[in-house]
Amino acid sequence: MIGGLTYFVDEGWTSFWRGRGASILSLLTIAIAVFVLGLLLIVGGHARRTIDQWSRSAELSVYLADGATPDERSAVERALRAEPAVIGIDVVSKAQALARFRRDFPDLAPATAQAPDNPFPASFEVRLGASSASGAALDRLAARLATMPGVADVRFDRRWLDRLVSLGEFVRWVGFGLTAILVLAAALTVTNVVRLSMHARRDEIEIMTLVGAPMAFIRGPFVCEGMIQGGLGAVLALGALYAGMALAAPHLSAMAAGLFDLGAIRFLSWTAMAGLVAGAMAVGCLGGLVAAWRTARPR
Amino acid sequence: MIDIDGLSRRYGGAISALDDVTLHVGRGEFVFLTGPSGAGKSTLLRILIGQEVPTSGRVVVDGKDLSALKPADIQRYRRTVGFVFQDFKLVPRKTVFENVMFALRILGVPDVQQRRKTFQVLKWVGLQHRATAYPIELSGGEQQRVAIARALVNEPVLVLADEPTGNLDPDLAIEIMDLFRDMNAGGTTVLVATHDRELIRRVGRRTVALDHGRIARPA
Ligand SMILES: Nc1ncnc2c1ncn2[C@@H]1O[C@H](COP(=O)(O)OP(=O)(O)O)[C@@H](O)[C@H]1O
Ligand SMILES: [Mg+2]
Repeated sequence: MIGGLTYFVDEGWTSFWRGRGASILSLLTIAIAVFVLGLLLIVGGHARRTIDQWSRSAELSVYLADGATPDERSAVERALRAEPAVIGIDVVSKAQALARFRRDFPDLAPATAQAPDNPFPASFEVRLGASSASGAALDRLAARLATMPGVADVRFDRRWLDRLVSLGEFVRWVGFGLTAILVLAAALTVTNVVRLSMHARRDEIEIMTLVGAPMAFIRGPFVCEGMIQGGLGAVLALGALYAGMALAAPHLSAMAAGLFDLGAIRFLSWTAMAGLVAGAMAVGCLGGLVAAWRTARPR
Repeated sequence: MIDIDGLSRRYGGAISALDDVTLHVGRGEFVFLTGPSGAGKSTLLRILIGQEVPTSGRVVVDGKDLSALKPADIQRYRRTVGFVFQDFKLVPRKTVFENVMFALRILGVPDVQQRRKTFQVLKWVGLQHRATAYPIELSGGEQQRVAIARALVNEPVLVLADEPTGNLDPDLAIEIMDLFRDMNAGGTTVLVATHDRELIRRVGRRTVALDHGRIARPA
């Protein structure tokens, strides 16, 4: 059994190497598919982590009118506490809002000193659970708060965050669709390249068939050849991804410093890499199988 | 060993490569299949190695009905029969030794035994000194002896040969025939197709003649 396996791998490698001109072609198509999928996973993972982080910070702010009465304030607070998605409420007074502004924008601080009175409203800053209830319930809450007496304005971050998430979902599905097409193209290329190398060795295949070699024995090396193309293609793609990230990372973080923490982009996990290589080998295996089944027959 | 009954093989509509052929070859026999070019000799042998299926009729070899064989069975059957072809059919990128040993390898014979038997049979065809050569480095006669060694190494009950001397000059042809006679003396059933009547005359064995796909001279 082990002997048979090394025979397949040896012969598969020989066949791959003899047809390396064409093998490069299928190797590259696989590499492109794995590259796109890998990029998708890296960017998607980063986007998900970033959005999670944003979701955890304050999302719902209720600004109070300067003339809001204590009763109106507590009515608003009660309404907020009644919502299960709300996990925390920070009360920010007018003075605190002013102090915060002066701290965050020291350049503009002198301007505020000239203002006759504090222009900043008091507010409730509400934290929502990351996996909190449906956006629709929160939308209703925000709308209801806006009409309550004593409320000047309601800012609800979750709305555009939701839009961002659904945009992300859309990009993801387009990406997976593209990957599926690329995988199909790669599988077809492998099939054709393996058929080409079987054609180059048709005499040998005919002889082995006539001598009575088991069909698995004849086809095995070519299936292996497909797997080698897949595996090497995936390794090539991962290498390109890694190098590309190392080269692009400094530029990206310089470009978008502050907005996104691009320095924190993580490369694929070992499990994900192993999965990609295994998947590419499976695609190569499939391509090799189709070629071998069609080309080598007992009669 | 070979029981052929009412065998016909038609290509397309009109061409009948074999037409109602009935032939019996007993265990341990040596039979020549002869006839002019186009008589149907190769077609008959292709059917006997499972490369082609009869249009009608029955072919039984060593108790196995060939038309009933599934693909995996065809390969198993082929491992029990030896074949020799006019164009030798050696694998160019394998050495003489590897070409012969391959027939044992696919039987799953242990490694040491593969080597021992391969060496023995190469010695029998007189090519033990060329074991590491590649087919292209050998003469036609030598290549055919390698092919015969490969056909015989797994001790088949039956050896089939299609024009095995077709590419060789007459003296070499006789040498090759001596190998077939020798294996037949060891008990192997041999069926050789050849159009070379002079060769048949010199070897002197039972001869079955085909003409236009029919048995011309039943024996
Ligand atoms: N694959 C084929 N398609 C059509 N006709 C064929 C095919 N193979 C053989 N024939 C025809 O069958 C006849 C017998 O051929 P063959 O068996 O090769 O004869 P032989 O080996 O005695 O010279 C010939 O007329 C040949 O043209
Ligand atoms: Mg012929």
